[in-house]
Amino acid sequence: MLEPVSVGLKFAFLAVLYLFLLWVSRSALKDLRRDAFGGAPRAPVAAQDETGMHSAASLGALDGGAQVSPRLVVSSVPGLARGMSYDVAQGAVLGRGDVEIQLEDPFASSQHARLTRQGAILVIEDLGSTNGTYLNDELLRGPQPLHPGDRIRIGDSTFTYED
Amino acid sequence: MSARNRELFALIPASLLLTAGFAAVFIQRDELLSDLSLTYGLIFLALCLAAHLVLRMTLPDADPYLFALVAVLACFGLVVLYRLDEQLARDQAKWFVVGLLFFTATILALRHDHRVLERYRYVIALGGIVLLLLPRLGSPTNGAYLSFSLGPISFQPAELAKIAIVIFLASYLRDTRQVLVVGARRFAGITFPPLKHLGPLLAVWGTAMGLLFVIQDLGSSLMFFGGFLALVYVATNRISFVLIGLALFALGARVLYAIRPTIESRVDAWLHPFDPELYNQEIGGSYQVAQSIFTQADGGFFGQGFGQALIRLGNETPLLPAAHTDFIYAVITDELGLMGAVAVLLVYLLIIERGFKTAMLATDSFSKLLATGLTAVLALQVFVIVGGVTKLIPLTGVTLPFISYGGSSIVANFILLALLLLVSDRARREAVA
Repeated sequence: MLEPVSVGLKFAFLAVLYLFLLWVSRSALKDLRRDAFGGAPRAPVAAQDETGMHSAASLGALDGGAQVSPRLVVSSVPGLARGMSYDVAQGAVLGRGDVEIQLEDPFASSQHARLTRQGAILVIEDLGSTNGTYLNDELLRGPQPLHPGDRIRIGDSTFTYED
Repeated sequence: MSARNRELFALIPASLLLTAGFAAVFIQRDELLSDLSLTYGLIFLALCLAAHLVLRMTLPDADPYLFALVAVLACFGLVVLYRLDEQLARDQAKWFVVGLLFFTATILALRHDHRVLERYRYVIALGGIVLLLLPRLGSPTNGAYLSFSLGPISFQPAELAKIAIVIFLASYLRDTRQVLVVGARRFAGITFPPLKHLGPLLAVWGTAMGLLFVIQDLGSSLMFFGGFLALVYVATNRISFVLIGLALFALGARVLYAIRPTIESRVDAWLHPFDPELYNQEIGGSYQVAQSIFTQADGGFFGQGFGQALIRLGNETPLLPAAHTDFIYAVITDELGLMGAVAVLLVYLLIIERGFKTAMLATDSFSKLLATGLTAVLALQVFVIVGGVTKLIPLTGVTLPFISYGGSSIVANFILLALLLLVSDRARREAVA
Protein backbone atom coordinates (compact mmCIF):
# COMPACT_ATOMS: atom_id res chain seq x y z
CA MET A 1 0.00 0.00 0.00
CA LEU A 2 1.18 3.47 -0.81
CA GLU A 3 -1.04 5.14 1.75
CA PRO A 4 1.72 5.51 4.38
CA VAL A 5 4.08 6.92 1.73
CA SER A 6 1.51 9.48 0.78
CA VAL A 7 0.91 10.53 4.38
CA GLY A 8 4.66 10.59 4.96
CA LEU A 9 5.14 12.84 1.96
CA LYS A 10 2.52 15.23 3.23
CA PHE A 11 4.28 15.57 6.56
CA ALA A 12 7.66 15.80 4.86
CA PHE A 13 6.26 18.60 2.72
CA LEU A 14 5.04 20.47 5.78
CA ALA A 15 8.30 19.85 7.64
CA VAL A 16 10.49 21.18 4.82
CA LEU A 17 8.18 24.14 4.48
CA TYR A 18 8.33 25.06 8.15
CA LEU A 19 12.09 24.56 8.37
CA PHE A 20 12.49 26.86 5.40
CA LEU A 21 10.23 29.46 7.00
CA LEU A 22 12.12 29.18 10.27
CA TRP A 23 15.41 29.76 8.49
CA VAL A 24 14.13 32.80 6.61
CA SER A 25 12.50 34.36 9.65
CA ARG A 26 15.61 33.80 11.76
CA SER A 27 17.71 35.67 9.22
CA ALA A 28 15.07 38.34 8.91
CA LEU A 29 15.01 38.80 12.67
CA LYS A 30 18.76 39.03 12.80
CA ASP A 31 18.55 41.66 10.12
CA LEU A 32 16.06 43.70 12.09
CA ARG A 33 18.01 43.42 15.31
CA ARG A 34 21.21 44.57 13.67
CA ASP A 35 19.43 47.72 12.59
CA ALA A 36 17.86 48.38 15.95
CA PHE A 37 20.98 48.07 18.07
CA GLY A 38 24.22 49.46 16.83
CA GLY A 39 25.40 48.35 13.44
CA ALA A 40 27.24 51.00 11.56
CA PRO A 41 27.13 54.12 13.67
CA ARG A 42 24.86 56.56 11.94
CA ALA A 43 26.11 60.07 11.81
CA PRO A 44 24.01 62.70 13.58
CA VAL A 45 20.68 61.64 14.96
CA ALA A 46 18.58 60.60 12.02
CA ALA A 47 16.97 63.72 10.82
CA GLN A 48 13.24 64.03 10.92
CA ASP A 49 11.46 66.59 8.90
CA GLU A 50 7.83 67.60 9.12
CA THR A 51 6.77 64.37 7.47
CA GLY A 52 8.82 62.08 9.67
CA MET A 53 10.41 60.45 6.64
CA HIS A 54 14.07 61.26 6.70
CA SER A 55 16.29 60.88 3.77
CA ALA A 56 18.88 58.30 4.63
CA ALA A 57 20.43 58.93 1.24
CA SER A 58 22.08 61.99 2.43
CA LEU A 59 23.15 60.38 5.67
CA GLY A 60 25.63 58.28 3.72
CA ALA A 61 27.34 61.32 2.36
CA LEU A 62 27.26 63.17 5.63
CA ASP A 63 29.88 63.24 8.26
CA GLY A 64 29.88 64.55 11.77
CA GLY A 65 31.26 67.89 10.83
CA ALA A 66 34.45 67.35 12.79
CA GLN A 67 36.73 67.86 9.81
CA VAL A 68 38.10 71.16 8.71
CA SER A 69 37.69 70.60 4.99
CA PRO A 70 35.27 72.82 3.09
CA ARG A 71 31.73 71.79 3.80
CA LEU A 72 28.12 72.77 3.47
CA VAL A 73 26.30 72.89 6.80
CA VAL A 74 22.56 72.39 6.80
CA SER A 75 20.73 75.45 8.11
CA SER A 76 17.29 74.34 7.13
CA VAL A 77 16.65 71.66 4.56
CA PRO A 78 13.45 69.62 4.36
CA GLY A 79 14.33 66.10 5.45
CA LEU A 80 17.69 66.88 7.05
CA ALA A 81 18.64 67.84 10.57
CA ARG A 82 20.14 71.24 11.20
CA GLY A 83 23.87 71.16 11.74
CA MET A 84 24.67 68.16 9.56
CA SER A 85 27.29 68.79 6.94
CA TYR A 86 28.43 67.63 3.53
CA ASP A 87 32.07 67.41 2.62
CA VAL A 88 32.42 69.39 -0.59
CA ALA A 89 36.20 69.43 -0.90
CA GLN A 90 35.96 67.69 -4.25
CA GLY A 91 33.01 69.75 -5.44
CA ALA A 92 29.42 68.53 -5.65
CA VAL A 93 26.17 68.96 -7.50
CA LEU A 94 23.01 69.93 -5.62
CA GLY A 95 19.58 69.01 -6.91
CA ARG A 96 16.57 66.81 -6.75
CA GLY A 97 17.90 64.15 -9.10
CA ASP A 98 20.63 61.55 -8.72
CA VAL A 99 23.37 63.93 -7.59
CA GLU A 100 25.81 64.17 -4.70
CA ILE A 101 23.63 66.33 -2.47
CA GLN A 102 20.04 65.26 -2.92
CA LEU A 103 17.39 67.78 -1.98
CA GLU A 104 13.85 66.79 -1.22
CA ASP A 105 12.62 70.17 -2.20
CA PRO A 106 9.79 70.71 -4.64
CA PHE A 107 11.34 73.96 -5.78
CA ALA A 108 14.71 72.48 -6.66
CA SER A 109 15.55 71.36 -10.19
CA SER A 110 17.00 67.91 -10.71
CA GLN A 111 20.47 69.38 -11.32
CA HIS A 112 20.23 72.68 -9.61
CA ALA A 113 23.64 74.06 -8.74
CA ARG A 114 27.24 72.93 -8.86
CA LEU A 115 30.22 73.51 -6.59
CA THR A 116 33.59 73.17 -8.31
CA ARG A 117 37.05 73.33 -6.94
CA GLN A 118 39.33 75.86 -8.62
CA GLY A 119 42.70 75.79 -6.95
CA ALA A 120 42.22 76.82 -3.36
CA ILE A 121 38.69 78.13 -3.69
CA LEU A 122 35.28 76.65 -4.34
CA VAL A 123 33.07 78.17 -6.99
CA ILE A 124 29.29 77.89 -7.06
CA GLU A 125 27.26 78.16 -10.25
CA ASP A 126 23.64 77.72 -11.11
CA LEU A 127 22.97 74.97 -13.64
CA GLY A 128 20.07 76.75 -15.33
CA SER A 129 17.62 75.90 -12.59
CA THR A 130 13.96 76.93 -12.81
CA ASN A 131 13.79 78.78 -9.51
CA GLY A 132 17.34 80.03 -9.23
CA THR A 133 20.04 79.78 -6.59
CA TYR A 134 20.53 82.49 -3.98
CA LEU A 135 23.89 83.36 -2.49
CA ASN A 136 23.45 85.48 0.64
CA ASP A 137 19.89 86.24 -0.50
CA GLU A 138 21.01 87.49 -3.89
CA LEU A 139 20.11 85.67 -7.06
CA LEU A 140 23.19 84.01 -8.40
CA ARG A 141 24.18 85.19 -11.88
CA GLY A 142 27.20 83.38 -13.18
CA PRO A 143 29.81 81.52 -11.10
CA GLN A 144 30.78 83.03 -7.76
CA PRO A 145 33.55 82.08 -5.33
CA LEU A 146 32.43 80.95 -1.87
CA HIS A 147 33.63 82.45 1.40
CA PRO A 148 33.18 80.96 4.84
CA GLY A 149 29.82 81.99 6.28
CA ASP A 150 28.13 82.34 2.91
CA ARG A 151 24.50 81.30 2.82
CA ILE A 152 23.26 79.27 -0.13
CA ARG A 153 19.53 79.01 -0.67
CA ILE A 154 17.74 76.73 -3.12
CA GLY A 155 13.94 76.73 -2.86
CA ASP A 156 13.22 76.12 0.82
CA SER A 157 16.67 74.69 1.55
CA THR A 158 19.41 76.77 3.10
CA PHE A 159 23.04 75.80 3.65
CA THR A 160 25.95 77.65 5.18
CA TYR A 161 29.37 77.27 3.66
CA GLU A 162 32.19 76.71 6.13
CA ASP A 163 35.87 76.15 5.69
CA MET B 1 27.12 33.91 3.20
CA SER B 2 26.64 36.52 0.52
CA ALA B 3 23.15 37.57 -0.45
CA ARG B 4 23.12 35.59 -3.69
CA ASN B 5 24.50 32.42 -2.07
CA ARG B 6 21.72 32.62 0.49
CA GLU B 7 19.23 32.86 -2.33
CA LEU B 8 20.76 29.85 -4.08
CA PHE B 9 20.59 27.84 -0.88
CA ALA B 10 16.99 28.86 -0.30
CA LEU B 11 15.98 27.59 -3.73
CA ILE B 12 16.79 24.01 -2.72
CA PRO B 13 13.90 23.64 -0.24
CA ALA B 14 11.60 25.22 -2.82
CA SER B 15 12.46 22.53 -5.36
CA LEU B 16 12.24 19.81 -2.70
CA LEU B 17 8.74 21.02 -1.91
CA LEU B 18 7.75 20.81 -5.55
CA THR B 19 9.15 17.30 -5.87
CA ALA B 20 7.43 16.08 -2.70
CA GLY B 21 4.18 17.72 -3.73
CA PHE B 22 4.16 16.18 -7.18
CA ALA B 23 5.18 12.78 -5.81
CA ALA B 24 2.25 12.89 -3.40
CA VAL B 25 -0.17 13.80 -6.17
CA PHE B 26 1.18 11.01 -8.39
CA ILE B 27 0.77 8.43 -5.65
CA GLN B 28 -2.77 9.55 -5.10
CA ARG B 29 -3.62 9.43 -8.73
CA ASP B 30 -1.82 6.44 -10.22
CA GLU B 31 -1.07 4.39 -7.17
CA LEU B 32 2.48 4.25 -8.40
CA LEU B 33 5.59 6.20 -7.70
CA SER B 34 6.89 7.84 -10.80
CA ASP B 35 10.24 9.53 -11.18
CA LEU B 36 8.39 12.13 -13.22
CA SER B 37 7.95 14.15 -10.04
CA LEU B 38 11.71 14.35 -9.72
CA THR B 39 11.89 15.56 -13.32
CA TYR B 40 9.35 18.28 -12.61
CA GLY B 41 11.29 19.29 -9.53
CA LEU B 42 14.48 19.52 -11.54
CA ILE B 43 12.87 21.57 -14.32
CA PHE B 44 11.49 23.94 -11.70
CA LEU B 45 14.92 24.18 -10.07
CA ALA B 46 16.51 24.88 -13.46
CA LEU B 47 14.06 27.71 -14.14
CA CYS B 48 14.68 29.24 -10.73
CA LEU B 49 18.42 28.88 -11.23
CA ALA B 50 18.19 30.75 -14.54
CA ALA B 51 16.39 33.63 -12.80
CA HIS B 52 18.90 33.41 -9.96
CA LEU B 53 21.78 33.79 -12.42
CA VAL B 54 20.13 36.88 -13.90
CA LEU B 55 19.91 38.33 -10.39
CA ARG B 56 23.49 37.34 -9.64
CA MET B 57 24.73 39.21 -12.67
CA THR B 58 22.54 42.28 -12.53
CA LEU B 59 21.45 42.85 -8.93
CA PRO B 60 24.09 41.23 -6.72
CA ASP B 61 23.00 43.03 -3.56
CA ALA B 62 19.24 42.58 -3.82
CA ASP B 63 17.29 40.97 -1.01
CA PRO B 64 18.17 37.26 -0.86
CA TYR B 65 14.83 35.93 0.40
CA LEU B 66 12.24 37.59 -1.81
CA PHE B 67 12.83 35.42 -4.85
CA ALA B 68 13.08 32.19 -2.88
CA LEU B 69 9.84 32.93 -1.02
CA VAL B 70 8.09 33.61 -4.30
CA ALA B 71 9.47 30.32 -5.67
CA VAL B 72 7.82 28.52 -2.75
CA LEU B 73 4.49 30.16 -3.54
CA ALA B 74 4.83 29.27 -7.22
CA CYS B 75 5.54 25.67 -6.24
CA PHE B 76 2.36 25.60 -4.12
CA GLY B 77 0.45 26.89 -7.10
CA LEU B 78 1.87 24.35 -9.54
CA VAL B 79 1.30 21.36 -7.24
CA VAL B 80 -2.29 22.28 -6.38
CA LEU B 81 -3.13 23.11 -9.99
CA TYR B 82 -1.65 19.82 -11.18
CA ARG B 83 -3.76 18.05 -8.65
CA LEU B 84 -6.87 19.85 -9.91
CA ASP B 85 -6.23 19.57 -13.61
CA GLU B 86 -3.04 18.59 -15.45
CA GLN B 87 -3.74 20.93 -18.34
CA LEU B 88 -4.09 23.90 -15.99
CA ALA B 89 -0.73 23.13 -14.42
CA ARG B 90 0.92 22.91 -17.85
CA ASP B 91 -0.53 26.28 -18.82
CA GLN B 92 0.51 27.72 -15.49
CA ALA B 93 4.05 26.42 -15.98
CA LYS B 94 4.14 28.20 -19.35
CA TRP B 95 2.93 31.40 -17.71
CA PHE B 96 5.57 30.94 -15.04
CA VAL B 97 8.22 30.96 -17.80
CA VAL B 98 6.62 34.01 -19.44
CA GLY B 99 6.51 35.70 -16.03
CA LEU B 100 10.21 35.01 -15.51
CA LEU B 101 10.93 36.50 -18.95
CA PHE B 102 9.08 39.68 -18.02
CA PHE B 103 10.89 39.63 -14.66
CA THR B 104 14.24 39.48 -16.48
CA ALA B 105 13.22 42.11 -19.02
CA THR B 106 12.14 44.53 -16.28
CA ILE B 107 15.40 44.07 -14.42
CA LEU B 108 17.52 44.48 -17.54
CA ALA B 109 15.61 47.56 -18.65
CA LEU B 110 15.82 49.35 -15.31
CA ARG B 111 18.99 47.96 -13.78
CA HIS B 112 20.92 51.24 -14.02
CA ASP B 113 18.33 53.36 -12.32
CA HIS B 114 14.72 52.46 -11.72
CA ARG B 115 14.00 56.12 -11.05
CA VAL B 116 13.71 56.79 -14.78
CA LEU B 117 10.14 55.58 -14.22
CA GLU B 118 9.44 58.93 -12.60
CA ARG B 119 9.88 60.67 -15.94
CA TYR B 120 7.01 58.75 -17.45
CA ARG B 121 4.67 59.00 -14.50
CA TYR B 122 1.76 60.60 -16.32
CA VAL B 123 2.02 58.18 -19.23
CA ILE B 124 2.15 55.32 -16.75
CA ALA B 125 -0.85 56.64 -14.82
CA LEU B 126 -2.87 57.08 -18.00
CA GLY B 127 -1.92 53.57 -19.09
CA GLY B 128 -3.08 52.21 -15.75
CA ILE B 129 -6.47 53.87 -15.95
CA VAL B 130 -7.01 52.78 -19.56
CA LEU B 131 -6.12 49.23 -18.55
CA LEU B 132 -8.69 49.35 -15.78
CA LEU B 133 -11.42 50.57 -18.09
CA LEU B 134 -10.73 48.04 -20.87
CA PRO B 135 -12.81 45.20 -19.39
CA ARG B 136 -15.84 47.43 -19.58
CA LEU B 137 -15.82 46.74 -23.33
CA GLY B 138 -16.44 43.07 -22.70
CA SER B 139 -19.08 41.28 -20.73
CA PRO B 140 -19.10 40.92 -16.94
CA THR B 141 -18.12 37.75 -15.10
CA ASN B 142 -20.20 37.19 -11.99
CA GLY B 143 -21.35 40.78 -12.16
CA ALA B 144 -17.88 42.33 -12.20
CA TYR B 145 -15.93 43.63 -15.16
CA LEU B 146 -12.54 42.16 -14.52
CA SER B 147 -11.13 40.49 -17.58
CA PHE B 148 -10.56 41.56 -21.13
CA SER B 149 -10.23 39.24 -24.10
CA LEU B 150 -7.76 39.91 -26.86
CA GLY B 151 -8.14 37.11 -29.36
CA PRO B 152 -7.51 33.84 -27.53
CA ILE B 153 -5.85 35.47 -24.54
CA SER B 154 -8.00 36.81 -21.75
CA PHE B 155 -6.28 38.90 -19.17
CA GLN B 156 -7.12 40.84 -16.03
CA PRO B 157 -5.80 44.36 -16.56
CA ALA B 158 -6.29 45.29 -12.91
CA GLU B 159 -3.20 43.22 -12.13
CA LEU B 160 -0.95 45.38 -14.30
CA ALA B 161 -2.81 48.56 -13.46
CA LYS B 162 -2.01 48.20 -9.77
CA ILE B 163 1.71 48.50 -10.54
CA ALA B 164 1.19 51.49 -12.84
CA ILE B 165 -0.86 53.30 -10.24
CA VAL B 166 1.64 52.65 -7.46
CA ILE B 167 4.47 54.00 -9.62
CA PHE B 168 2.47 57.13 -10.34
CA LEU B 169 1.43 57.74 -6.74
CA ALA B 170 4.94 57.16 -5.42
CA SER B 171 6.30 59.70 -7.85
CA TYR B 172 3.50 62.20 -7.25
CA LEU B 173 3.71 61.99 -3.45
CA ARG B 174 7.48 62.32 -3.53
CA ASP B 175 6.97 65.76 -5.00
CA THR B 176 4.07 66.93 -2.90
CA ARG B 177 4.51 65.28 0.47
CA GLN B 178 6.22 68.29 1.98
CA VAL B 179 3.57 70.67 0.75
CA LEU B 180 0.77 68.43 1.95
CA VAL B 181 2.04 68.71 5.49
CA VAL B 182 3.36 72.24 5.62
CA GLY B 183 0.12 73.84 4.48
CA ALA B 184 -2.03 71.56 6.60
CA ARG B 185 -4.58 73.08 8.92
CA ARG B 186 -5.89 71.69 12.14
CA PHE B 187 -9.60 71.81 12.66
CA ALA B 188 -11.50 70.14 15.51
CA GLY B 189 -8.36 68.20 16.42
CA ILE B 190 -7.97 66.70 12.96
CA THR B 191 -5.28 67.73 10.49
CA PHE B 192 -6.66 68.54 7.08
CA PRO B 193 -4.42 68.83 4.04
CA PRO B 194 -4.36 72.26 2.37
CA LEU B 195 -7.27 72.78 0.00
CA LYS B 196 -5.06 73.32 -3.02
CA HIS B 197 -3.54 69.88 -2.62
CA LEU B 198 -6.71 68.22 -1.50
CA GLY B 199 -7.78 68.27 -5.14
CA PRO B 200 -5.46 65.53 -6.41
CA LEU B 201 -6.15 63.43 -3.33
CA LEU B 202 -9.88 63.74 -3.87
CA ALA B 203 -9.28 62.85 -7.50
CA VAL B 204 -7.70 59.58 -6.43
CA TRP B 205 -10.62 58.91 -4.12
CA GLY B 206 -13.00 59.73 -6.96
CA THR B 207 -11.12 57.34 -9.24
CA ALA B 208 -11.41 54.54 -6.69
CA MET B 209 -15.13 55.20 -6.34
CA GLY B 210 -15.51 55.46 -10.10
CA LEU B 211 -13.74 52.15 -10.47
CA LEU B 212 -16.03 50.58 -7.97
CA PHE B 213 -18.94 51.92 -9.97
CA VAL B 214 -17.61 50.96 -13.39
CA ILE B 215 -16.03 47.56 -12.79
CA GLN B 216 -18.30 46.82 -9.85
CA ASP B 217 -15.60 45.09 -7.92
CA LEU B 218 -15.14 46.00 -4.29
CA GLY B 219 -11.95 43.93 -3.96
CA SER B 220 -9.82 45.74 -6.51
CA SER B 221 -10.98 49.17 -5.45
CA LEU B 222 -10.21 48.29 -1.83
CA MET B 223 -6.78 47.17 -2.99
CA PHE B 224 -6.08 50.38 -4.93
CA PHE B 225 -7.44 52.73 -2.33
CA GLY B 226 -5.74 50.89 0.54
CA GLY B 227 -2.43 51.08 -1.31
CA PHE B 228 -2.98 54.77 -1.84
CA LEU B 229 -3.71 55.40 1.86
CA ALA B 230 -0.62 53.42 2.87
CA LEU B 231 1.45 55.63 0.59
CA VAL B 232 -0.11 58.82 1.90
CA TYR B 233 0.57 57.70 5.45
CA VAL B 234 4.19 56.85 4.78
CA ALA B 235 4.72 60.06 2.81
CA THR B 236 3.21 62.43 5.34
CA ASN B 237 3.16 60.63 8.70
CA ARG B 238 -0.36 61.98 9.28
CA ILE B 239 -2.75 59.31 10.48
CA SER B 240 -5.58 61.82 10.09
CA PHE B 241 -5.24 61.71 6.29
CA VAL B 242 -5.73 57.95 6.47
CA LEU B 243 -8.77 58.28 8.70
CA ILE B 244 -10.32 60.88 6.42
CA GLY B 245 -9.65 58.57 3.48
CA LEU B 246 -11.19 55.57 5.19
CA ALA B 247 -14.27 57.55 6.16
CA LEU B 248 -14.70 58.74 2.57
CA PHE B 249 -14.25 55.20 1.27
CA ALA B 250 -16.81 53.81 3.67
CA LEU B 251 -19.23 56.53 2.67
CA GLY B 252 -18.74 55.82 -1.03
CA ALA B 253 -19.05 52.07 -0.54
CA ARG B 254 -22.26 52.54 1.41
CA VAL B 255 -23.79 54.65 -1.35
CA LEU B 256 -22.79 52.16 -4.02
CA TYR B 257 -24.14 49.33 -1.93
CA ALA B 258 -27.51 51.03 -2.03
CA ILE B 259 -27.60 51.57 -5.79
CA ARG B 260 -25.77 48.55 -7.20
CA PRO B 261 -27.51 45.17 -6.86
CA THR B 262 -24.37 43.11 -7.59
CA ILE B 263 -22.58 44.56 -4.59
CA GLU B 264 -25.65 44.08 -2.45
CA SER B 265 -25.89 40.39 -3.35
CA ARG B 266 -22.20 39.90 -2.49
CA VAL B 267 -22.75 41.40 0.93
CA ASP B 268 -25.86 39.29 1.55
CA ALA B 269 -23.96 36.13 0.61
CA TRP B 270 -21.23 37.15 3.02
CA LEU B 271 -23.59 37.82 5.92
CA HIS B 272 -25.82 34.77 5.48
CA PRO B 273 -23.96 32.09 3.50
CA PHE B 274 -26.04 29.24 4.93
CA ASP B 275 -29.40 30.82 4.29
CA PRO B 276 -31.22 28.14 2.19
CA GLU B 277 -32.73 30.67 -0.15
CA LEU B 278 -29.42 32.38 -0.87
CA TYR B 279 -27.59 29.05 -1.03
CA ASN B 280 -29.88 27.72 -3.78
CA GLN B 281 -30.04 30.94 -5.72
CA GLU B 282 -28.74 30.39 -9.25
CA ILE B 283 -26.93 33.68 -9.78
CA GLY B 284 -25.22 35.74 -7.11
CA GLY B 285 -26.12 33.33 -4.32
CA SER B 286 -23.97 32.23 -1.42
CA TYR B 287 -23.23 28.74 -2.79
CA GLN B 288 -19.55 29.54 -3.42
CA VAL B 289 -18.87 31.02 -0.02
CA ALA B 290 -20.65 28.21 1.80
CA GLN B 291 -18.79 25.51 -0.16
CA SER B 292 -15.51 27.27 0.48
CA ILE B 293 -16.14 27.17 4.21
CA PHE B 294 -17.11 23.48 4.10
CA THR B 295 -13.95 22.71 2.12
CA GLN B 296 -11.73 24.46 4.62
CA ALA B 297 -13.42 22.80 7.59
CA ASP B 298 -12.79 19.44 5.96
CA GLY B 299 -9.04 20.05 6.15
CA GLY B 300 -8.68 19.87 9.91
CA PHE B 301 -5.28 20.44 11.46
CA PHE B 302 -2.98 18.49 9.14
CA GLY B 303 -5.26 18.26 6.13
CA GLN B 304 -6.59 15.39 4.02
CA GLY B 305 -3.39 15.00 2.06
CA PHE B 306 -2.59 15.86 -1.54
CA GLY B 307 -5.27 14.82 -3.98
CA GLN B 308 -7.76 13.98 -1.24
CA ALA B 309 -9.92 17.06 -1.22
CA LEU B 310 -13.38 16.44 -2.62
CA ILE B 311 -13.60 19.00 -5.39
CA ARG B 312 -16.22 17.38 -7.61
CA LEU B 313 -18.64 14.48 -7.33
CA GLY B 314 -18.24 12.22 -10.33
CA ASN B 315 -18.62 14.32 -13.46
CA GLU B 316 -21.24 16.59 -12.03
CA THR B 317 -20.85 20.28 -11.50
CA PRO B 318 -17.95 20.94 -9.19
CA LEU B 319 -18.63 21.14 -5.48
CA LEU B 320 -16.15 23.96 -5.15
CA PRO B 321 -16.39 26.41 -8.03
CA ALA B 322 -13.37 28.33 -9.31
CA ALA B 323 -11.08 26.04 -7.33
CA HIS B 324 -8.09 27.00 -9.47
CA THR B 325 -8.43 30.76 -9.12
CA ASP B 326 -10.45 32.41 -6.36
CA PHE B 327 -10.78 29.40 -4.11
CA ILE B 328 -7.32 27.89 -4.42
CA TYR B 329 -6.68 28.90 -0.83
CA ALA B 330 -9.63 26.74 0.26
CA VAL B 331 -8.15 23.75 -1.63
CA ILE B 332 -4.78 24.23 0.07
CA THR B 333 -6.50 24.39 3.45
CA ASP B 334 -8.39 21.19 2.69
CA GLU B 335 -5.36 19.22 1.57
CA LEU B 336 -2.71 20.54 3.97
CA GLY B 337 -4.93 21.64 6.81
CA LEU B 338 -4.44 24.55 9.13
CA MET B 339 -0.70 23.91 9.11
CA GLY B 340 -0.46 24.32 5.35
CA ALA B 341 -2.72 27.35 5.24
CA VAL B 342 -0.79 29.09 8.00
CA ALA B 343 2.45 28.30 6.19
CA VAL B 344 1.14 29.98 3.03
CA LEU B 345 0.15 33.05 5.01
CA LEU B 346 3.56 33.04 6.71
CA VAL B 347 5.27 33.04 3.32
CA TYR B 348 3.24 36.11 2.35
CA LEU B 349 3.99 37.70 5.71
CA LEU B 350 7.72 37.23 5.19
CA ILE B 351 7.53 38.62 1.65
CA ILE B 352 5.75 41.67 3.02
CA GLU B 353 8.31 42.01 5.81
CA ARG B 354 11.11 41.93 3.23
CA GLY B 355 9.23 44.49 1.16
CA PHE B 356 8.84 46.97 3.99
CA LYS B 357 12.41 46.33 5.07
CA THR B 358 13.47 47.29 1.56
CA ALA B 359 11.42 50.47 1.85
CA MET B 360 13.12 51.29 5.15
CA LEU B 361 16.57 50.79 3.67
CA ALA B 362 15.83 52.73 0.49
CA THR B 363 17.58 56.04 0.41
CA ASP B 364 15.53 58.32 -1.76
CA SER B 365 11.87 59.07 -1.26
CA PHE B 366 10.71 57.71 -4.59
CA SER B 367 12.27 54.29 -3.98
CA LYS B 368 10.95 54.28 -0.42
CA LEU B 369 7.43 55.07 -1.55
CA LEU B 370 7.62 52.67 -4.49
CA ALA B 371 8.65 49.74 -2.30
CA THR B 372 6.02 50.64 0.29
CA GLY B 373 3.29 50.92 -2.30
CA LEU B 374 4.11 47.70 -4.11
CA THR B 375 4.30 45.78 -0.84
CA ALA B 376 1.08 47.31 0.47
CA VAL B 377 -0.83 46.47 -2.70
CA LEU B 378 0.43 42.89 -2.62
CA ALA B 379 -0.49 42.55 1.05
CA LEU B 380 -3.95 43.97 0.46
CA GLN B 381 -4.50 41.62 -2.46
CA VAL B 382 -3.75 38.63 -0.24
CA PHE B 383 -6.00 40.09 2.44
CA VAL B 384 -8.88 40.68 0.04
CA ILE B 385 -8.91 37.17 -1.41
CA VAL B 386 -8.05 35.19 1.72
CA GLY B 387 -10.47 37.36 3.69
CA GLY B 388 -13.15 36.69 1.11
CA VAL B 389 -12.58 32.94 1.01
CA THR B 390 -12.61 32.68 4.80
CA LYS B 391 -15.69 34.90 5.07
CA LEU B 392 -14.00 37.73 6.89
CA ILE B 393 -15.05 40.25 4.24
CA PRO B 394 -17.41 39.98 1.25
CA LEU B 395 -15.90 37.78 -1.44
CA THR B 396 -14.42 39.45 -4.49
CA GLY B 397 -12.52 37.83 -7.27
CA VAL B 398 -8.88 38.78 -7.13
CA THR B 399 -6.13 36.21 -7.51
CA LEU B 400 -3.92 34.86 -4.78
CA PRO B 401 -0.57 36.26 -5.95
CA PHE B 402 1.84 33.70 -7.45
CA ILE B 403 -0.45 30.77 -6.54
CA SER B 404 -3.73 31.21 -8.41
CA TYR B 405 -4.06 30.14 -12.01
CA GLY B 406 -3.85 33.11 -14.32
CA GLY B 407 -1.36 34.51 -16.79
CA SER B 408 -1.82 38.21 -16.16
CA SER B 409 -1.58 37.73 -12.42
CA ILE B 410 1.68 35.78 -12.66
CA VAL B 411 3.23 38.19 -15.15
CA ALA B 412 2.18 41.31 -13.22
CA ASN B 413 3.37 39.96 -9.90
CA PHE B 414 6.74 39.00 -11.36
CA ILE B 415 7.11 42.57 -12.64
CA LEU B 416 6.22 43.77 -9.14
CA LEU B 417 8.86 41.47 -7.68
CA ALA B 418 11.44 42.74 -10.18
CA LEU B 419 10.75 46.34 -9.11
CA LEU B 420 11.08 45.45 -5.43
CA LEU B 421 14.40 43.72 -6.10
CA LEU B 422 15.64 46.70 -8.11
CA VAL B 423 14.90 49.04 -5.19
CA SER B 424 16.40 46.55 -2.77
CA ASP B 425 19.65 46.15 -4.73
CA ARG B 426 20.38 49.87 -4.77
CA ALA B 427 19.30 50.38 -1.15
CA ARG B 428 21.36 47.52 0.25
CA ARG B 429 24.43 48.46 -1.75
CA GLU B 430 24.27 52.01 -0.40
CA ALA B 431 23.62 50.76 3.13
CA VAL B 432 26.79 48.65 3.01
CA ALA B 433 28.96 51.30 1.40
